[in-house]
Amino acid sequence: MKKLLNWLEARADNVAVGLLAAMFLAFVLQIVSRYVLNSPLGWTLEACLISWVWVVFWGSAFLVNDQEHVRFDILYSSASTRVRKIFALIAAIAIAGAFLTSLPATYDFISFMQIEKSSVLGIRLDYVFSVYLIFAIAIIVRYGARIVAIFTGKFGEPERRL
Amino acid sequence: MSSEFLICIAILFGLAAIGAPIALSMIVGAIAYLALKGQDLGLASEQILQGLYNSFILLAVPLFIVAANIMNAGTISDRLLAFCVALVGRFRGGLGHVNVIASLIFSGMSGSAIADAAGIGKIIIQMMTREGRYSPGFAAAITAASATIGPIIPPSIPMVMYALVSDTSIGYLFLGGIVPGLVMAGVLMTLLVFIAKRRNFVVEEPTPLRALPRLTVNAFPALLMPVILLFGIYGGATTPTEAAAVAAAYAFILAAFFYRALSFRSIYDILSSSARSSAAVGLVIGGALIFNYIVASENIPSAVAGAMRSIELSPVAFLLMINVLLLALGCVLDATTILLVIVPLFIPAARELGIDLVHFGVVVVVNTMIGLITPPYGILLFVINATTRVPLRSMIQEIFPFLGVLIVALLAITFIPELVLFLPQQFGYR
Repeated sequence: MKKLLNWLEARADNVAVGLLAAMFLAFVLQIVSRYVLNSPLGWTLEACLISWVWVVFWGSAFLVNDQEHVRFDILYSSASTRVRKIFALIAAIAIAGAFLTSLPATYDFISFMQIEKSSVLGIRLDYVFSVYLIFAIAIIVRYGARIVAIFTGKFGEPERRL
Repeated sequence: MSSEFLICIAILFGLAAIGAPIALSMIVGAIAYLALKGQDLGLASEQILQGLYNSFILLAVPLFIVAANIMNAGTISDRLLAFCVALVGRFRGGLGHVNVIASLIFSGMSGSAIADAAGIGKIIIQMMTREGRYSPGFAAAITAASATIGPIIPPSIPMVMYALVSDTSIGYLFLGGIVPGLVMAGVLMTLLVFIAKRRNFVVEEPTPLRALPRLTVNAFPALLMPVILLFGIYGGATTPTEAAAVAAAYAFILAAFFYRALSFRSIYDILSSSARSSAAVGLVIGGALIFNYIVASENIPSAVAGAMRSIELSPVAFLLMINVLLLALGCVLDATTILLVIVPLFIPAARELGIDLVHFGVVVVVNTMIGLITPPYGILLFVINATTRVPLRSMIQEIFPFLGVLIVALLAITFIPELVLFLPQQFGYR
């Protein structure tokens, strides 16, 4: 199980690196085509925007752990283990609950976007935006798992990114 | 202001206070607001996705992050440092001056104070504390203080964020930051001269002048970077976002081919850590997008503007009030949150009072950068603590004089708009 998760995390990392590299290359291509070759490519900007959206939500879903998030942790880190547990439980219930409650509406919005296509590449926007669903589900699973960990006494063990 | 909005705020700050990620707290607060208002819960994802997908200017953020990480990994930082040591290392307290000058030059490339502190700052703290010449607390404090200059001199990630929420020109904002950045460097170095005399700091073995040409040649391609960036943007050749990509590409070519300091593995690691930082920052921006949508639909900014009008606040008093407020918030909140969530509330009021929005932007960015080193919550102090293990307590003891002079610089920038606006006006700003 541990092995599998490690393997999956490494693959998630590969995807994020691939996306960022693609974004960077597309941008360079855009600049070269516009300023050096004088015949701007239309699709590069769109490719950048799509990979940016994917980097943000793919990364937030699988790669960014609690320590790497922007957070305010003075109260948390100065609290006792017991209080920390309560803090973590409240936060986890609120986050998992809110994302779970809004999941159907989020799905509706994203599947509704199939009526629109990106203007140059013609990629359906529900595909582009689907990464947000992946992100929402990953958040629900992660914070759900934390609630379970708190109740089974496993809280405080080093958390995995994935 | 509706009761639903107050609940949304309570949830946001409640969750953030107990240590939940700020971005997720904003999204949860927004979802609660939509649920209480009986609105479509899908609106949260719609605002976040459309906002991120449609703003071209935000692409500069991940590109500047990549550029900064390449420079830190590819010995570009080290070369710049050697150049600065040769230049100003010969004075009393020389390494302190090196620290400021290095930040000044490095900031012309990276756009992120944290990258500055973690990269070049780490090396220079090691140099300063070697053989006990400077106390670790002092070395860390001057490093943190000078790192705040990073995002004032262009390029600048915080200014990209301000441009996003205020609709001001990122090009003019960048130009407006140059003189204030020099002013900040000036006050820090003046303070250093005094401290060096009082504490009788060592005078370094001066680097022989005949080594200077070689070190300059060595650092020259890196020194060229700010020139390329500024020329690209103000020569009208590229947009600021494209300039960010050019910066990253240039850093990559320098590090990989010219200095031969990058392996395939290190390129992968650079991209991997950049992807993580980009995702974390992007998510906060996403959270701020939905939060700002709610703030706007509650008409909060115009209510604030109305309140300012009714108490007949003068522009000077308004700016002073904003500075005090943001500095206080900077003690407990991070710069991204302040710029994306708090500052938009005051933009219409600033506009109504006739305050120039480029001037206002530079003032709030300088202010939030000072907030990065104000205890107890100062991200730069934490980053230096994490990378160098200098205890927070000893850093905080030494930081106050630096904080003091930076606040003096902030006041100067606030009350003398020309410091900010002179350069943009030379390039056709109004």
